[in-house]
Amino acid sequence: MGRYIAGRSAQSLVSLVVLVVLVFFMARLTGSPAELYLPPSATAEQVAQFNALHGFDDPTHLQFARFLAGLLRFDLGESLQYARPALDVVLGAFHTTLSLAAVAMPVILVLSVVTGSLAAWRPGGIFDRIASLISLISASTPNFWIAIVGVLVFAVFLRWLPTSGTGTPAHWVLPVLVLALRPTGVLTQVVRTSMLEALSSAYVKTARAKGVKRSTIIFVHALRNALLPVITVASDQVAGILNGAVIVEVVFGFPGIGKLMIDSVMLRDFAVIQAAVLVIALAIFTLNIIVDIAYALIDPRIRHS
Amino acid sequence: MTKAVTRGRWALTLSAGALALAAVMPAAAQATDSSVTIVMPGQPDRLDPCETPRSVIGRIIKQNVVETLVELDYSDGSTKPRLATSWQQNSPTEWVFNLREGVTFHDGAPFDAAAVVYTLERTLDPALTCITRTKYFDGNEITAEAVDDHTVRFTTGAPIPILPTLLAQMAIASPNTPKGVYTETPIGTGPYAFESWTQGQNVKIHRNDNYWGAAPGIENATYIWRSESSVAAAMVETGEADLAFSIAPQDADDGEMDKVYPNSETSMFRLSVDVPPMNDVRVREAINLAIDRRAFLGTIISDEAQLATQQVGPNVFGWNADLAPREYDPEEAMRLIAEARADGVPVDTELRLIGRPNMFANSSELVEAVAEMLRGVGFKVKLESLEMSLWLEEANKPFAESRAPTLLLTMHDNNTGDAAFTAFFKYHSDGRQSELHDAVLDGLILDAGTKSGEERKATYNEAFRMIYEDIVSDVPLFHMVNYMRINPRIDFTPTIANAVELQLSGLKFR
Repeated sequence: MGRYIAGRSAQSLVSLVVLVVLVFFMARLTGSPAELYLPPSATAEQVAQFNALHGFDDPTHLQFARFLAGLLRFDLGESLQYARPALDVVLGAFHTTLSLAAVAMPVILVLSVVTGSLAAWRPGGIFDRIASLISLISASTPNFWIAIVGVLVFAVFLRWLPTSGTGTPAHWVLPVLVLALRPTGVLTQVVRTSMLEALSSAYVKTARAKGVKRSTIIFVHALRNALLPVITVASDQVAGILNGAVIVEVVFGFPGIGKLMIDSVMLRDFAVIQAAVLVIALAIFTLNIIVDIAYALIDPRIRHS
Repeated sequence: MTKAVTRGRWALTLSAGALALAAVMPAAAQATDSSVTIVMPGQPDRLDPCETPRSVIGRIIKQNVVETLVELDYSDGSTKPRLATSWQQNSPTEWVFNLREGVTFHDGAPFDAAAVVYTLERTLDPALTCITRTKYFDGNEITAEAVDDHTVRFTTGAPIPILPTLLAQMAIASPNTPKGVYTETPIGTGPYAFESWTQGQNVKIHRNDNYWGAAPGIENATYIWRSESSVAAAMVETGEADLAFSIAPQDADDGEMDKVYPNSETSMFRLSVDVPPMNDVRVREAINLAIDRRAFLGTIISDEAQLATQQVGPNVFGWNADLAPREYDPEEAMRLIAEARADGVPVDTELRLIGRPNMFANSSELVEAVAEMLRGVGFKVKLESLEMSLWLEEANKPFAESRAPTLLLTMHDNNTGDAAFTAFFKYHSDGRQSELHDAVLDGLILDAGTKSGEERKATYNEAFRMIYEDIVSDVPLFHMVNYMRINPRIDFTPTIANAVELQLSGLKFR
């Protein structure tokens, strides 16, 4: 088990290094940020002065060496836009993104596992049909539309919820529901399919014949065997949320990492791009390792191979 | 079967219950009596006093937290005293400013000549890329010295006839503001003191009870930001906020709450006057006549926008009031094209029509419509939409060697009150975004910069006339407007000043 985890971590580390190098050079291929930070009337001298001030006039390999040296001290440089350490800017935003993920994921998992499992019990039944329809709709509704309609309906028309912002628990209801919508739909479909297979297996028939309670059959016997594909897809959904839920961030004023990334790319804020990619990559590699461990725990065949 | 349905219902009830639970919680604390919440379109990145000309910062702190020596009247570019009570010009390069007495900064430091000298030094520090320096002061040699506690002498290398206008851009910060680093806690002399900045959330300021001037009515202000216009509009509608700076035209659907104000921006197409066929003035004229500007007003551009004839609007000193907009005349355009074609001008060359997404509301739609209008008179047009950084490469010198003839959509703001901040970089041979190299025009632009009063105005007027009537280097479009949504409990009429600042002392509760 330990060797299995170590092996997976080593793979991740290699991809991480490649990613960091790629991002560093690709960001700089877009050109100097000077023109974006100086007024349109800026002169050539002002551009030169700006580039010298931030080291953009040095050869790229020298800038890269400086970046690596900083990395060893956990110094990812200073944000051009915010004039603060890039890592602070990124971690501040990532905190919001993580909180969103932490609230949304339990909602997604509970809704999709319960609905998907119950739907699979009697395929083609009323509950299955309704659940499938709703999950298909939620998996395919564009969330920028549903987010704005949500604000108009629940905040402006009904006045049940605040429009946006982060002050109270009520502020989280709309963003979390909007964020959960698509993953819940997708995951419900996956749970249903996976459970269909598990429920048609011989041991379930035996259990039914023995008169075991339906809930025990579904949630104890079958679910564990149906979980592997569910975990795979769920981890994809988490990775998606960690990459930034741009729509939710923009509409509801949640200062997360998605909007920060886009703004930084637009404004050539290299230090922030690098720090954000690094932080997201580390988070996703951690997620992958957790998923690997979960696989091993659930399926002894993986653990012992 | 029935059991499954029951369980499904139970799950539904549960989620409905969660929603209902959330609903009974208070929807957003309604702003109390003397507090306001203001929605900005974007978040401030730094709150440094030396960055107040940027609207994202100026709208929060300029003249609220930090004040200037001279205050600009944005409607006509004139100046009036603020922290300076009076000033006089002793020689072309020397000015003396008399400072208001008995004023203290929020941190207790006295406002005096030394503080003004300190702010100028801090603003000009090359270690900071302050917009006050990069946009207004660079290229001029400006020094200040304290004559006595409340008198400052400014000396400039070359004569700067509009020094007071320049100083209207420099917010005076407490001498305890460190040099060489941007501050996140602006300390000034204004009617409001900075309270807090929660990253990503809000900025708060509160009334300064020791203010030297009249005490404003509003006690507290909270600034938040929403880039989604419909949400910003909804926040004012539901009472979560009192004022939203820019609402997209399609969201400004409430005649009572939504008020229009000029945002000091002017939109234009810049023509590449050196590249055939645009090097022929008849072709440039034809392009101008082929575009039906009035058709956009009230459709995709606000009907409050004004047809433009030049880069600066009526609020700017130097604006030429005598220029009349060209009227839509496709027949004349076609006649000019035919005439040019007969003379061997390659009018069938494909023209690049370059826009930028979200330059202003509906700018992409405008560019598409213009392309059709140009095709309507026989031009071949290729549409391009470039993001900011790529657009800048087209806008700024050096221009590509063998570029295609180009119509570049531009939007320029001049909220400084003087044409100097437009004319040079847009039209002088050495200007960064200038397509022109006309010795007479260069002379006019340089000459105007050294003059003051009516002479200055007349010289800029002649320069803008020449650009518009003789050279025809642009397709002027509109002087643009924004919509502000204001909660009915607040009595306020937005003006062009609100493009860069919002003095809270001007807001009153009904």
